[in-house]
Amino acid sequence: MEKKLIDVDASMKFNGTSVLEDIKFKIHENEFLVLVGPSGCGKTTMANLLAGLLKPTSGHITIKGEKINPKVHNISIVFQEPSCIPWRTLWDDIIMGLEIKGADQETTEKRAKEVIKLVGLDGFEEYFPKQISGGMKQRVAIARAYATNPDFLLMDEPFGHLDAQTRYLMQIEIMRIWEKEKKTVAYITNNIEEAVYLATRIIVLSKLPAKIKAEYKIDLPRPRDLTGPEFLKLRGEITEQCEVVED
Amino acid sequence: MANNEDAGTGKLVNFSYNVFTLCMFLIAWTVLSWLLKSLFFPTPWVVFKAFIELATYGDVEGINLSVHIYKSSLRIFAGFVAACILGIPLGILMGLYPKVYDSTKSIIEPIRFIPPVAWIPLVIVLLVGFSRYAFIIWLGAFFPIFIGTLLSVRSVNPIHIDVPRSFGASRLYIIKKIIIPSTLPEIFTGMRVGMGIGWDCIMASEMIGGENEGLGVMILKYAELIRIEDIIVGMVIIGAIGFLINEVFILAEKYVFKWKEAISIG
Repeated sequence: MEKKLIDVDASMKFNGTSVLEDIKFKIHENEFLVLVGPSGCGKTTMANLLAGLLKPTSGHITIKGEKINPKVHNISIVFQEPSCIPWRTLWDDIIMGLEIKGADQETTEKRAKEVIKLVGLDGFEEYFPKQISGGMKQRVAIARAYATNPDFLLMDEPFGHLDAQTRYLMQIEIMRIWEKEKKTVAYITNNIEEAVYLATRIIVLSKLPAKIKAEYKIDLPRPRDLTGPEFLKLRGEITEQCEVVED
Repeated sequence: MANNEDAGTGKLVNFSYNVFTLCMFLIAWTVLSWLLKSLFFPTPWVVFKAFIELATYGDVEGINLSVHIYKSSLRIFAGFVAACILGIPLGILMGLYPKVYDSTKSIIEPIRFIPPVAWIPLVIVLLVGFSRYAFIIWLGAFFPIFIGTLLSVRSVNPIHIDVPRSFGASRLYIIKKIIIPSTLPEIFTGMRVGMGIGWDCIMASEMIGGENEGLGVMILKYAELIRIEDIIVGMVIIGAIGFLINEVFILAEKYVFKWKEAISIG
């Protein structure tokens, strides 16, 4: 039986404009949940709520029954924008979470080495962000998020800024990492192919104000074939649900 | 490795160009003053002799050139350090809490637009000796440092704050590890500008200040005697010290901001 980790039942308004309306869903342990929706549908707001960086106007978001709070719970985010800290070397950047959580030096070093290996950045520890490519910067962000061994990992369109090829390679990469170190992941994207490729479950959001339109359980075998008939069928179905022109 | 050597020879080439243009400048100056044969247009050599004179026997009142340099530098240093000590924390505070700035704006902004030189008469009446000069320099250097810091705090990239926040970092951690490092380059720029204005101020205040030590007053003494070569010595020394201080700043920046200098491979 799947264990419930996160429970969302929230609405969000900004200056009277409703952004999220009665969003209700659960996230189970070790699942790879993808939230997909058209651009400008409040996905980033959803991410900030899930991260505990914003409070919902009404309702609640709980983890293990408690209100989600980054000061109490071990959660990590991979942001949409490039988020490397320019004056920190990759090593110092990756250990930031551990530093904040107060991990001792031995644990920090051991864990940092593990995640650096996991994302394939060995040998670049002393580089500054300015010296590396966009894809590598996103790997740093992933390594940093993984380093704290989070109970819940949130990824807000992490590859949105990358070119198509790098993006594709990063998707393969993220699957490899997830299969190696299973985490509970909520992955937000507007790319349906990416969603079907990665997800164990997909939630489709409507355009503003965002509501839940549909839910799909994806149990295609991995690694998934982007051109397989079942893959294409699912992709087509979800695309229809996501259609910008509604009704 | 090849890169380093390139950088090394590049520096050497740059240096020799500078030596060359400096020589050309001195030659042109000499030729021009030979052509004009005027008492008001001394050759570099005459200026150099005046420099040696000032450095060995002192000025008309027997005050050595080194004393003038020392006095002016000390005043600058005191005013500048005071401006940093006050300007940087205040800039950070007001950057973090825009309400503090917004509600004190009607005091801060008008004061900012009163040129430090306009303060000199008042300061001469109210203060004595060293504090006079230090105050004027403080006033001149404070605003570029303060405003530079204030604006840079406001322009910190929000994502750099969200990263530690998402890990549950305290406000103090964010200030220490994100706000301060990210504002440092602009604080440095503010300091450089402040230092420049500090020099403007010291000259003006020494000329009006009525004491007999300091480079500003030294220039003035020789202006009264119409001794052009000695005036030029004073001016050249001010320029040279300014140049040296700026070089020190640039060197410090290169060291502190290694992450900006780094060469990209990706």
